[in-house]
Amino acid sequence: MAEIRFENVRKMFGEDTIIPDMNMTIKDGSFTVIVGPSGCGKSTTLRMIAGLETQTEGNIYIGDRLVNDVSPGKRNVSMVFQNYALYPTMTVKGNIEFGLKNRKVPKAERQKLIEEVADIVGLTPYLNKKPQKLSGGQRQRVALARAMVKKPDVFILDEPLSNLDAKLRQQMRSELVQLHAKLGTTFVYVTHDQVEAMSMGDEIVLLDQGEIMQMAPPLDLYNYPANRFTAQFIGTPPMNLVSVDQLPSAGFNEKAVEQIGFRPEKAKLRHFPGNDQFSMPCTILNRETLGSEIIYQLDTLAGRLFAKTFNEPVVDAEQLFVSVNNEDIYYFKENGRCIAPYLNRETPIKVRSTV
Amino acid sequence: MSGWFERFRPYVMVAPAIIVFVLFFIYPIGYMIYLSFHEWDFISPEKQFVGLDNFSGLSEHPEFLKSLENTFVFTFFSVGITTVLALLLALWINRPTRFYGFVQGAVFSPHIISLVSIAMLWMWLMDPQYGLLNWGLELFGLPQSEWLASPETALYSIILVAIWKSIGFNTLIIIAGLQSIPPHLYEAAALDQSSRFTSFAKITFPMISPTLFFLIIMNLIGSFQVFETIDIMTQGGPLQSTNTLVYYIYEYGFRFFQLGYASSAGVILLIVLSILTVLYFFLMSRRVHYQ
Amino acid sequence: MKTSRYALKGLNVLGLLIVIAIFATPFVWMAVTSVKSLSETITFPPVWIPETIRFENFALAWDTGPFFRYFVNSLVVTLSILVLQLFTIVPAAYAFARYRFFADRALFALTMITLMIPTQLIFLPVYLQFSSWGLLDTHLALILPFAANAFAIFMLRQTFKQVPEELLEAARLDQASEWKIMYMVMVPMAKPTIITLLLFSFITHWNDYFWPLVMTTTDASRTLPVGISALTNVEGGVAWHIMMAGNMILVVPILIIFFIAQRHIIRAFVYTGVK
Ligand SMILES: Nc1ncnc2c1ncn2[C@@H]1O[C@H](COP(=O)(O)OP(=O)(O)OP(=O)(O)O)[C@@H](O)[C@H]1O
Ligand SMILES: [Mg+2]
Repeated sequence: MAEIRFENVRKMFGEDTIIPDMNMTIKDGSFTVIVGPSGCGKSTTLRMIAGLETQTEGNIYIGDRLVNDVSPGKRNVSMVFQNYALYPTMTVKGNIEFGLKNRKVPKAERQKLIEEVADIVGLTPYLNKKPQKLSGGQRQRVALARAMVKKPDVFILDEPLSNLDAKLRQQMRSELVQLHAKLGTTFVYVTHDQVEAMSMGDEIVLLDQGEIMQMAPPLDLYNYPANRFTAQFIGTPPMNLVSVDQLPSAGFNEKAVEQIGFRPEKAKLRHFPGNDQFSMPCTILNRETLGSEIIYQLDTLAGRLFAKTFNEPVVDAEQLFVSVNNEDIYYFKENGRCIAPYLNRETPIKVRSTV
Repeated sequence: MSGWFERFRPYVMVAPAIIVFVLFFIYPIGYMIYLSFHEWDFISPEKQFVGLDNFSGLSEHPEFLKSLENTFVFTFFSVGITTVLALLLALWINRPTRFYGFVQGAVFSPHIISLVSIAMLWMWLMDPQYGLLNWGLELFGLPQSEWLASPETALYSIILVAIWKSIGFNTLIIIAGLQSIPPHLYEAAALDQSSRFTSFAKITFPMISPTLFFLIIMNLIGSFQVFETIDIMTQGGPLQSTNTLVYYIYEYGFRFFQLGYASSAGVILLIVLSILTVLYFFLMSRRVHYQ
Repeated sequence: MKTSRYALKGLNVLGLLIVIAIFATPFVWMAVTSVKSLSETITFPPVWIPETIRFENFALAWDTGPFFRYFVNSLVVTLSILVLQLFTIVPAAYAFARYRFFADRALFALTMITLMIPTQLIFLPVYLQFSSWGLLDTHLALILPFAANAFAIFMLRQTFKQVPEELLEAARLDQASEWKIMYMVMVPMAKPTIITLLLFSFITHWNDYFWPLVMTTTDASRTLPVGISALTNVEGGVAWHIMMAGNMILVVPILIIFFIAQRHIIRAFVYTGVK
């Protein structure tokens, strides 16, 4: 069990800087999810933890140990790959046992450990089968068992569920979370699916182009985005953004903000303007009914906006108004930073999450 | 820790193979080229440098010219006929049933038999007096042939054996090529109601033409090396009518100990094979380009 | 309409039977001849069914030369080649597939050039070389030049390259050494290819006539194909029945193996031919 610390880590592939300068501490025992758009450096970050890539500069610590020069096999890190990477010529048992054999674990102990993990992931009846004979979910469990049996300090998982169908993915998600609770080991989990990130992680690292945009627990990330990128990345549909100079009422300009934003699910659709500070006439361009909720695309003076409502189909009227409560409005400065007016502080997140 | 070894590991791993290649393939080629500029009888201690004399000698040597001619005739007919017949046969017997599988096996079977046995078997079949082939000709009311015994027919008899032996292999390679054509191409053609001939000309042939190209080149390279059947069946005779390039090298090197001559004939074979090889790689790179 | 369809079908089957006959008859004829008497071989028109089946022809053929010796030589030479190839091919293919090192491309190019050099081109200089080393007419002269196989290295390298990188990374995280990765992870995955290549090598060298003919001078190291070929000049004229009996000894085992493992053998040859 160990925390993982990145200290001024820089990673270049040839001339390209993939990660300019990364500093972070992944808490011991946490389920940390690294999320971000494709190509932002999630896998690279993971692989640096595992030692499969070496950072160009900076230090990586696992626990108190500086692991810059430690080979992958000696870092006591287990990895679960997207394509499982099971040894096709070995049985399930052989797959789980391979790492133990390489560590010269005595036979009797190996046997015991294998039985233990096979039981945890429910693979006991399949121990003598070849991986090709198993279903996707079972293969994923073998990969997990192989990772677990080494009793690693850190588990890293690179999009482990993306090859599974939707239903199985759902099930494996909760199994993984339970497994984490049971083992208490540090999990670092990569995904580009924000739903997966929000539902599984107790800490989320949001990456963009190799830079950490925000690192926070899921709800904080949703409620208190630090910047425009975070605000737009988390939530579907993404947060609506409106330039201040497109707004009819001038009241927003005072704090030197460039844009304001609000989440579609906080928008109110009504037949009258109301007296919120933000209120605009709009027409419905498109409506998507998703069972319990409805997503509207609205045409306004400030461009297209989204609104999401639950269980209240709006009567089709020519003219509607979209308005937002004052406390649901986010303010973005020119540099993309988010400020929350009701606190009048630049970084509301830390303040809020410690209250 | 073992960084030193790590760095040398790849070299250690390739070394055994590379040593074998250099010792028994690369160096001998160099040595052969060297010998081709010398006169040597294998016994005298001195190798005498003679420049291009061996080559000019060869160019006036009727036996060598005959062997060159025979090699080209052999190559032309054996490769040409084998390829055409194999293509037709492949189109015919490319079906997935057991019976067709058996036919494919039968056609292929000569390929795994030693050429020694094949040569001896066909000598017997082609025996002018008691051979089965003449019996067969007589059965159909055709005139009998002297086969290997006559200078007119000997080379063609050898060509017949070469075709019989290699047609099965060629057929199966073409079948493999045919089977790799995506079926949806034919489905599209069927929707267009194209005739069988059109779909052959528009789909099948273009799709397997890379396979055919490579088969032809491989067959060319192979047939320039023909030796076994000649050595066993005719020993170059009668009257030099089946003497070929490799057999010439063998005879001049091993029987007459004219190593300079034999080596320069070897250099000529090397040149022919190099041209074919370059052609092969050229086509290969073109094919890679297509995909 | 219907009758012409049946006629066409019948014609097709007839054609296929003729094709089979073209390739099977020679072997049948070999078998028939091998149990004939001498006088039955020199009659025209030929007889198809001999009066008495003379199995003693096989014994006679076997006794014309030291065939047991030839057989042992063939076995020793072929198996040695296979074992040596296994030990040279696998590491070389692995290194070419997985490591970048100085001059790797040049060494691979050298391998590819070797692939294109037939034995018919190099026998003379190699003969001279062996003669100066005193290796002529020994098993080593028949084995050493084939201790590595450029073609097999090329094929196996392709196979190794197809193994996903993740599998190697998983093994590295499992603390496997490089040798272990090679022998425990990669080689088992390439097993079908390796077996195919060895099968191919076996048939090639078991049947090889040219190289042993050139490199051997006595029965001490001659192999079966060379020994059998001597039946063409048995004293006292050609004895077709003995010759065919001798060849039956060489051909029948291979044909039996072929018809048992036909699919594998054909796949081996086609696979090695196409790629
Ligand atoms: N071995 C490599 N050599 C060169 N560039 C690389 C290498 N590996 C990754 N990259 C580059 O680094 C960047 C980050 O790659 P990485 O695999 O970490 O992205 P990712 O966030 O995992 O994306 P995805 O969600 O698509 O898996 C990409 O632009 C990629 O092209
Ligand atoms: Mg990735």
